[in-house]
Amino acid sequence: MTVGDQAREECSALYVEHHRWLLGWLRQRLGCLHDAADLAQDTFIRVLTARDAASVEPIHEPRAFLRTVAGRLLSNHLRRRSLEQAWQQTLANLPEPEVPSPEVQAVLLQTLHEIDALLDGLPARARRVFLLAQLEGLTYAQIAEQLGVSVRTIKRDMAEAFEQCILLTP
Amino acid sequence: MHTADPLISGHPREALDRAVIREAAQWLVRWHESAQDPHLAEQLAQWRARSDQHEQAWRRALQVNDKFGLVPPQLGMSVLSERTELSRRRAIKSLVLLMTVVPAGVAGYQVMPWREWQADYATRTGQQRSLTLNDGTELTLNTDTALDVRYDRSQRLIRLHRGELLIDTGADPAQSPDQHRPLRVLTRHGGVQALGTRFVVRQQREHSLVQVFAGAVEIEPRSSARRPLIQAGQQLRFDSSGAGLPQPVDPHGADWADGVLVADRLPLGRFLAELGRYRTGLVRCDEHISSLPVSGAFQLDNTDQVLASLAYSLPVKVVYRTRYWVSVIAV
Repeated sequence: MTVGDQAREECSALYVEHHRWLLGWLRQRLGCLHDAADLAQDTFIRVLTARDAASVEPIHEPRAFLRTVAGRLLSNHLRRRSLEQAWQQTLANLPEPEVPSPEVQAVLLQTLHEIDALLDGLPARARRVFLLAQLEGLTYAQIAEQLGVSVRTIKRDMAEAFEQCILLTP
Repeated sequence: MHTADPLISGHPREALDRAVIREAAQWLVRWHESAQDPHLAEQLAQWRARSDQHEQAWRRALQVNDKFGLVPPQLGMSVLSERTELSRRRAIKSLVLLMTVVPAGVAGYQVMPWREWQADYATRTGQQRSLTLNDGTELTLNTDTALDVRYDRSQRLIRLHRGELLIDTGADPAQSPDQHRPLRVLTRHGGVQALGTRFVVRQQREHSLVQVFAGAVEIEPRSSARRPLIQAGQQLRFDSSGAGLPQPVDPHGADWADGVLVADRLPLGRFLAELGRYRTGLVRCDEHISSLPVSGAFQLDNTDQVLASLAYSLPVKVVYRTRYWVSVIAV
């Protein structure tokens, strides 16, 4: 039996034993059975592909392990969903002639998702500072004044945000 | 569905040293601060030349930097910061609601004299809005403007965060019960105190512009003891350190409040910069034609039409790369 076969077998055992539990866990957090089923599916696919590639160590705490993988997918999913809501809201508020064509919309939304993912987990102030500088083009001094903190602090926030973005840029 | 989240993309990226990435981030901060500094450019070049890692980290830093250039500023701000500020906005909305049920005029303040009322008002790009405050003062917000109104027992304060504002205090202050409460507009450059008047305050990056159409205002630059008074028919610019000399007021300076942009032999570059304030996205002007004179009265509620009309009166062509990215070029 190859390593790949072994992984698949282990994964299907994992699926049989824990799928229902994982579905319940996700459903509780999403409030929607349909999305929960999709994410549970994604979780198992991810486990399978990850274990296919790596050398196979037996999983000691299967539920904790599944929770970790599913938890990351979940927060990613929630982030995307809330960005899409904000996007729809913004579009709805645009005057008719300003609404971009569907093609432009698709490109913009994709870019916004990418930026949002890059900024995920940054402290709220650093995120705000970063957006003011990068999108609105304010100088560090202006941002410092607007937020009532020192320019030094702004620079530290910017460096932190840039570092995370560079780290996560493929 | 394609997942754009690099956090959970399955394949490991070519590893860059974390310390090098941190340094690249710090370089980017410095570079933003003083891109023109030739000394800095030289130092950066030296840093990049240290190893392939350094060079690669810098390329990635620029990639990050460029990604943001693709997003129209207002749209991006709205979508990306909406969610973190949702709770704050909700709180503000309920305060505004409270404000409207307080009896108009001074009585309201006497009922709850200890209370400071605070509200946020804002317009999006291309939008204008008028409102009447409890004391009868009329505010007109121009495109992309944000302000707080804070009235308490000792003063009436309007904090202009960005944009442009027309104020009509209406009532004669001598007969107003509000005479002991000065009305002040605060910009990042300092204060403007109204003395029974109609005036415009516009906050720009480097300075604030004040145009007085009736009455007078006193200018209080943030860090200057001089407090020049400007009369009806005058305008001046000021920044934190002081005020310029009063000039005759642009007679069309408040026309925007009627939805009109009036140009009298205005260079095309400046005309487009002005028009761009009312549009989301970028309006670029070809350098070769930026001094062509533009004259006329233009309706601000349809800037696409204004752009189209330029092609009739001037030797120019308007090119839409996207709805958010318009270039005006020579024919």
